[in-house]
Amino acid sequence: MPDLGISVLFRGINFQRLLLGLWVTLRIALITIGVSLVLGLLFGLLMLRKNRLSRGFCRLWLEIVRFMPQLVLLYLVYFGFARLFGWNLDGELSAVLVFSFWGTAEMGDLFRGALTSIPKHQRESAAALGLTRAQINRYILLPQTARRLLPQAINLSTRIIKTTALVKMINVTEVLKVGQQIIGQYYREPAAAFWVYAAVFLLYFLICWPISLLAGWLEKRYQDGPAAGAA
Amino acid sequence: MDWSFIAAHVPDYLAGAWVTLRFGLYGVGCSLGVGLLCCLARYFRVPVLRGLAHGYIELARNTPLMVQLFFLYAGLPRVGIRLSAEACAVIGLTFLGGAYMAEAFRSGLESVDRAQREAGECLGLTRAQNIRYVLLPQALATAVPALFANVFFLIKETSMFSVLALMDLMNVADTLRTSGGRTVEVLFLLAAAYLALLLPVSLAATFTERRLRYAGFGNQRSV
Amino acid sequence: MKRWIRGIALALALVLVLASAAAAEGFRTLDEIRESGKITIGLFHDKKPFGYVDEYGEYQGYDVYLARRLAQDLGVELEIVAVDAPNRIEFLQSFKTDVILANFTYTAERAEQVDFALPYMKVALGVVSPDGALITDVEQLKGKKLIVSKGTTAETFFEQNYPEVQLVRYDSYTDAYLGLLDGRGDGLSTDNTEVLAWAIENPGFSVGIESLGSLDTINPAVSKGNETLLAWINEEIRKLGEENFFHADYEATLRETYGENADADALVVEGGVI
Repeated sequence: MPDLGISVLFRGINFQRLLLGLWVTLRIALITIGVSLVLGLLFGLLMLRKNRLSRGFCRLWLEIVRFMPQLVLLYLVYFGFARLFGWNLDGELSAVLVFSFWGTAEMGDLFRGALTSIPKHQRESAAALGLTRAQINRYILLPQTARRLLPQAINLSTRIIKTTALVKMINVTEVLKVGQQIIGQYYREPAAAFWVYAAVFLLYFLICWPISLLAGWLEKRYQDGPAAGAA
Repeated sequence: MDWSFIAAHVPDYLAGAWVTLRFGLYGVGCSLGVGLLCCLARYFRVPVLRGLAHGYIELARNTPLMVQLFFLYAGLPRVGIRLSAEACAVIGLTFLGGAYMAEAFRSGLESVDRAQREAGECLGLTRAQNIRYVLLPQALATAVPALFANVFFLIKETSMFSVLALMDLMNVADTLRTSGGRTVEVLFLLAAAYLALLLPVSLAATFTERRLRYAGFGNQRSV
Repeated sequence: MKRWIRGIALALALVLVLASAAAAEGFRTLDEIRESGKITIGLFHDKKPFGYVDEYGEYQGYDVYLARRLAQDLGVELEIVAVDAPNRIEFLQSFKTDVILANFTYTAERAEQVDFALPYMKVALGVVSPDGALITDVEQLKGKKLIVSKGTTAETFFEQNYPEVQLVRYDSYTDAYLGLLDGRGDGLSTDNTEVLAWAIENPGFSVGIESLGSLDTINPAVSKGNETLLAWINEEIRKLGEENFFHADYEATLRETYGENADADALVVEGGVI
């Protein structure tokens, strides 16, 4: 019986369709990650400013993103904006907007955390040695920040990829939806649903796992580095 | 904004919120248990269990909850394992949550100085006593922020339960929206409901973190 | 540091501009559609045999056949958007598609939100259940679980008329049928044409209640106020009636499912005249 079931995956171009669906997911995730990296850096810097207004603004953004389930934000943008402002965005664009909104805030927070965890004396010693502000940023702060940031940033990327599974709920034909279409043709095959969902499960795992392994490896590597903050 | 509509449907939302809360808490409870066990298995390097725990954590952390739920609810019955919607909800949340909790506990345990563990062993404490009186209290102080973050995260993740045909908060809102309901009011109530649900959790987290700040004995960075 | 603030403001402005540019401002009139060279039609992607995707990734079905003909006669390319029952109205109200041909039943409530064209199919509600525990009367459902798809007439019908029946609501037809196969409900209710087709293909299940509720029709739908497109579709349907198009559609897409002995006229509406 399981034999009959798994062959469903290989009939016609079913498997290619699944992969195409996966590509839709990845596309959304990659664009989001890109936008979040860039805007996140700006966001992080904004968070560090002494200006109360900008800090409050960032704080509000962060809290909204933390309190609301992603799905609710997706619905708000996809359905709500259409009714409130007449903005009718398609599923993919809504997803990129919402996830970037979330990703920017998270990345900004990570960036802020990484930057502030560099001991103050690093900056002071550099200034004492006569380095200009720009030089301090470039040679002292940036490398160390990047090192601390990288594992967590990659972690965030994995989370973004996983969260894109939600776009199924706003009618984007991503891998789960394609899976459902395939299943819909084979009700008489008892195990078709099992194999299709197992395949989707495996596909996500095969994509996210190597990335999280990379993050873990980077974390270990930088932990023992001389720039780990030890005096 | 049609306030009469909102007033008329508050009971529906309350029912949905109750479902969300109930299953969220079941999931959180089981996750804490599973997470602690997995973490301890890895920390004490228990043979076999350690590898299983590691494999489980990797699997659960690298797949989305939605896919896990579909697999449990619609995939497994096809090979004979039929779980009720409620069971799938709790198992799904626990599967995902357990892995996250395990990682939180791990960061907590690793922050406890090894000397503490050895001292406990020297004093003749059994492993269980060591865990209970020496390691856990100190580990929790460090782990609590991460643990609460996970609780928060898990309650938010319950928003996917509509795939199990469970009438949680999100599903109530979605059903109202699709039966020709007023989209803006429906979404407004939804956002407000989640805020009301999660605010207490957030406050509890801050409160607990503040109280536990002094529990770590000298192994915390002098900030 | 002022540079950074300007940078963020710029980025946000960019995002907003892109968003509003990508957003549709209103429905597309007939001329706009002709000019753009393509028409967007929402169809079911998992409701065999009316709108579904086959194993080569091609859309097939009674509704799809009509969609293709409409695009052909309009002289534009057909862009198919996969829809699920709950989102059909939403798609028209937010102009995500020009037409909805997703086996959309005409109801007075729906007519307030979208504009319906002439009918092309007859339909009532039906209930399919396992042979071993066949449901033959609505009364048997009281206190039992009935599977419905969100946003369908079945859902509304049972909500309004039989509130004692516990509804198990799914987002898509695939989930609903899998639910029935897994025993998540004692029966499933949707259009009788649909459950009949499904029961024929799936041994072990039969349609115990063949016709429930009023006899309704399935009509194409467009965004409210889109008069030019509506007029054209109505004209099309009348013209297609002259060549017995819908009977041909039936033969091409439904005959195989319902079998040689089924009467096409029980389902088909030709020329928009019942």
